[in-house]
Amino acid sequence: MSNLKKKINNMNLVRFRFWFQIVAFLLIVYGGYIGFDLGDKLPTFACVYNSDGTGGKCYLGMLQHDLNHHWETFLGFAGYAFSISLGMFIVWFWLLNKAWCGFVCPLGTMQDWITAFRKKLKIRFSQYDWSSRAKIKSIKWILLILLLIIPVMISNSVFGLPTLPNGLSMPFCDICPGRMLIPAFTGDFGQFYIDFSSKTEIVMTTLGMIIVGLFLVGSFIKKRFFCYFCPMAALQYTFSKPALLKLYKDGSKCTKCGDCYRACDMDILEIADDVTSKNLVTEDCTLCLKCVAACPEEGCLEANFVGKTIFESTKEGFIIRMAMDKKRELNEQH
Amino acid sequence: MSNIERTIETPKEKQNRHKAMEAIKVINSIKDDFKSPIESMNYFYDLFERVYCKNESLHNDKTKVGTMCIQIPSEIIYALDGVPIRLCNGFYTDDEIGSDLLPQKACPLVKATVGHFASNNFIDKPDIVFSPTTCDQKTKAGTIIRNYGFKVIDVDFPRTKESEGSREYWRKSIKQFAVELSKFKNKKLTKSNLEASIKKIGYAQSLYHKLSEYRKEEILPILGLDMFLITNAFFFDKIDSWTEAMEILLKEMKIRVDKKITVAGKRSPRIVFTGSPPIFPNYKIPLIIEQSDALIVADETCSSNRMFNDMVAVDEWNLYDMIDSISDKYLKACTCPIFTTNDDRIRRIIDLVKNYKADAVIYQAFAGCTVYEMEQRSVLEAMEKAGIAILYIESDYSPSQQGQLSTRIEAFVESIKNRRRRKK
Ligand code: SF4
Ligand code: SF4
Ligand code: SF4
Ligand code: SF4
Ligand code: SF4
Repeated sequence: MSNLKKKINNMNLVRFRFWFQIVAFLLIVYGGYIGFDLGDKLPTFACVYNSDGTGGKCYLGMLQHDLNHHWETFLGFAGYAFSISLGMFIVWFWLLNKAWCGFVCPLGTMQDWITAFRKKLKIRFSQYDWSSRAKIKSIKWILLILLLIIPVMISNSVFGLPTLPNGLSMPFCDICPGRMLIPAFTGDFGQFYIDFSSKTEIVMTTLGMIIVGLFLVGSFIKKRFFCYFCPMAALQYTFSKPALLKLYKDGSKCTKCGDCYRACDMDILEIADDVTSKNLVTEDCTLCLKCVAACPEEGCLEANFVGKTIFESTKEGFIIRMAMDKKRELNEQH
Repeated sequence: MSNIERTIETPKEKQNRHKAMEAIKVINSIKDDFKSPIESMNYFYDLFERVYCKNESLHNDKTKVGTMCIQIPSEIIYALDGVPIRLCNGFYTDDEIGSDLLPQKACPLVKATVGHFASNNFIDKPDIVFSPTTCDQKTKAGTIIRNYGFKVIDVDFPRTKESEGSREYWRKSIKQFAVELSKFKNKKLTKSNLEASIKKIGYAQSLYHKLSEYRKEEILPILGLDMFLITNAFFFDKIDSWTEAMEILLKEMKIRVDKKITVAGKRSPRIVFTGSPPIFPNYKIPLIIEQSDALIVADETCSSNRMFNDMVAVDEWNLYDMIDSISDKYLKACTCPIFTTNDDRIRRIIDLVKNYKADAVIYQAFAGCTVYEMEQRSVLEAMEKAGIAILYIESDYSPSQQGQLSTRIEAFVESIKNRRRRKK
């Protein structure tokens, strides 16, 4: 048993994650063809517009749909349906916490592929500076609130305001890059269009096209570019505290070397500098566990599932992953 | 007088003779005063004897890049095909020379370093010196040395490490340093030579970490003094010889641990050593500690543990990412007290006490080393809070006060033994 533990702690996380993400991607994007279906409350982007292929569906779509009801119906059956959906979402989320982002979400995976492509071209990544980073944080919450409120305001007059046009019934889906990109993998490019049926539609679908462009360019320059703005991440974080999978840190062992922070695609500073909190799943964390793999201090960071350590930082693992375990000759060119 | 043929000693020869005497005295004490010596330590004893008693040069054919402190990344020096030589000095002979040049109350380490340059008497003379602006005295020492005709380049070092500003600032300094050295060497820093040298140093560090694991053993197989020698040897040794000697030593350690061969007595208290760095041959305090039947199981000093502990982690192995990683490691992980806060250092000491099952901490500050003197209070308070016994000692390089120091240390060691007995 302890041998197995050692094997896991010494594993090449990058490779493991790469393959895990591929399998998850295949199941979510093409699973439908083999009858694989995880339902429509997944805490990750698995787009409903990928009608044939999808092996599971994104809860954000369902959420917007659920909220578009008159008050009366909402207090009745619609509210009931809403609670059940939300409950299902929470159950899924409890299981893996934000690892849905780091290991499953097809949009996240696509960004990682774009990153890999950039790496191949030997082009350097960019980073936000800390103050912009802090400002960006709030955008996903604003998006989340909008996507919750707008559907409600279609069927109801809130604060006496006039109701919104029906074209906004799925406001986030209109601008979500998942709507165009995920179906594209099953050969369906039908979502790349601008809808001229109404002013709202023109605006929203144009925005959607722009955002897809930004998504592709942005994640080439910046690792996990889109995840910084993702309202799903905000929704997830709302329920993150009691989830079963955790990222724990033992601050007393931390030397604040910053290695974890350097490895983090989401530039999460707390992972290195916070030495008092135990639970380090912050609002932007994708639970990708790259930080655990990059930490050289024995047992300082760990992934913990229901109280059990499943993967933790070790010196040995670090040394192996950084390929420092063998003697190497310096390239000497005289 | 019958001995008319005796040639007159030049000042340099005299200085060397004095230094050799200082060196051999320490080497012999470590070699002979303790039970069950480690055979493979002989490499290190010989190394120090060859260099400091026989004045043997190790890097005749290489560009020697002097560094005033651990903040200058060896990774970049090796990548550019130079040899890093750390110039922190521990000789009383040089300290005395420096005393004439610096204020009386200056730190002996800085005085000895300046004295060494003033006498221009090097075994491996640095071709260029990089001086990080860490503490005030080191910063000034850099300029003084420049006046003796050495090529000295300042490397701007920030005094806070939490802010993004200082991080960026230091990254720029390191890039500048790489540019300067690359110009000086007329060699390009490339992805492949830097990656190779990061891994090479990483390997050396991994050996150090393996050795440290053995110091956690209940039955301790190695002296703290030996550890200081090993880590100090990294200041000037050929890295390949060093790693080879470490590999051999590690094999012997394994055997010793299996056979339960120990350097300790039955009740030897375990000590974590911290404060101003013990630099060969100024092992005054560590020697007294271990001669008083206590053992140094770990340390938090920039001449030993701190030098090896943190390793460079790279996410994407391109040139600039590697340079940034290196910069971050030298800044963020550093627990030198010159930084505004001392919290990281305190946490580190407590962690060492826990991990190495130490009974107490001994804190040395060189008289005149302001930062360590100033941080004494904060560390004492923190240890008190954590229930860890601590002894604070002020020392210098002079061979006097030996008696008084050993009385204090012996009393402290005795009190820890008593405490232990009472606990049982
Ligand atoms: S468009 Fe985006 S938010 Fe809407 S269902 Fe698809 S993936 Fe989810
Ligand atoms: S944060 Fe990124 S990985 Fe997570 S759901 Fe959003 S797009 Fe997917
Ligand atoms: S890598 Fe580990 S030791 Fe270093 S700052 Fe991060 S958590 Fe702390
Ligand atoms: S904090 Fe760690 S697990 Fe979270 S996103 Fe950053 S690297 Fe991944
Ligand atoms: S104490 Fe700090 S400034 Fe002084 S030599 Fe050590 S690391 Fe450098």
